[in-house]
Amino acid sequence: MPDKKPTSLPFDSDEPADHKLWSALGELSRGEPSDRLRRRFYSGLHEAGRRPWTQRLGQWLGLQAGGWVTAAACLLLGFGFAQVIDRPTAETLKLVAIEETMVRLQRELILDRLQDASASTRLKGVVDASEVVAHDPQVARALLDRAAQDASLSVRSAAIDALGSQLGSGEIGAELMRLLQGAQSPIVQLALVDLVLRNGDGEQIRQLQSLADSGALHPDLVRHVNNALRSQSI
Amino acid sequence: MQAVSDEQLIQWVANGDASCLGTLFERHHRAVYQFCLQMTRNPGYAEDVAQDVFLKVLKAAKGFRNDGTFKGWMFNIARNATYDYLRQVKRHGDPQSPDDYPEALHVDECTAEQSAEGQQRMSNLIRALASLPAHFQEVIWLGRFEFDSFEELAQALDCKQGTARVRMHRAMKQLNLAFTDINGAPFDA
Repeated sequence: MPDKKPTSLPFDSDEPADHKLWSALGELSRGEPSDRLRRRFYSGLHEAGRRPWTQRLGQWLGLQAGGWVTAAACLLLGFGFAQVIDRPTAETLKLVAIEETMVRLQRELILDRLQDASASTRLKGVVDASEVVAHDPQVARALLDRAAQDASLSVRSAAIDALGSQLGSGEIGAELMRLLQGAQSPIVQLALVDLVLRNGDGEQIRQLQSLADSGALHPDLVRHVNNALRSQSI
Repeated sequence: MQAVSDEQLIQWVANGDASCLGTLFERHHRAVYQFCLQMTRNPGYAEDVAQDVFLKVLKAAKGFRNDGTFKGWMFNIARNATYDYLRQVKRHGDPQSPDDYPEALHVDECTAEQSAEGQQRMSNLIRALASLPAHFQEVIWLGRFEFDSFEELAQALDCKQGTARVRMHRAMKQLNLAFTDINGAPFDA
């Protein structure tokens, strides 16, 4: 199958070289997935698409119409026969419960590790937390605490790095920018500066530039910031 | 014109008709795979991540809101799945990392009409793109191949339109620098 045409996204730049690159990018060939992807997808969809036994039983009995009588009949029938005819559903429910328990235990383990007396254990907690931080505000808050006040600079730097994806989210982003303004350690400053350079929006970049201009950052970092911003604006 | 919109299909999926996901898969799986391939540089992993994306779409279907396009929403899921993968690679290393994969992927498919010089330049462009940080690669790839507007691109990147424009601008500057570095001369020289 031929490649799809490039998009008509209105890319604008003052540099002719950028336009030539943009145009050349549109000529790149793209790989094709194998049939394995399709087979695996439909196999997974078949499993996921299997309706619950109550619906299958309702259809078998011709009780598809809505209404509380039908619902109650299905419920009673289902309740009466569930133990006998639907062991897989019971197992599925058990699996869901186990999965939920695992998620809860994993969170507790991460939160415990983040509070541990040993820096290496806290560091391990940070690594584990980085995998769930995007979906778990409680873990994000705990990471922010480590980033703000951990006794180990390595843990603080790792926590800051782990929060990278959250810089764009209002509350965490604002806290990280406050941390940058108050950070004394050059290592912590470096972690935050890199975070902002990598993921910061326009306002955060402006704040960073302002901090660099005011001399609040380590002199080496001021040079780093100026070089990075210069290379981005070339 | 598509008879049924993506947004309608995902609503039906959300209402319990998982079979409609098959239509969405047929419409979008190549694009998702190609994006994952650019980001992971490994066809096997790209298929794993693409498969994961559609299962996540199924699980998250009820969360789709009609304040954006399905495609933007789906690619947001795709980039999160890709970042999850890249984080795992960063932590555990990648035993099968083919460093020269991007070149092998694209250059083998160059047409015979292309001059050797032209092929070399395209090869260097692929290398330059692959050398960029993931957040620059994704904005270039999605902007060049998937989205016609910054509004939709911003939805996929989970940011504001202005931010998407700035990221694109920076990414292209970085690409230009990387290409010049690898090629020994700018693209338009």
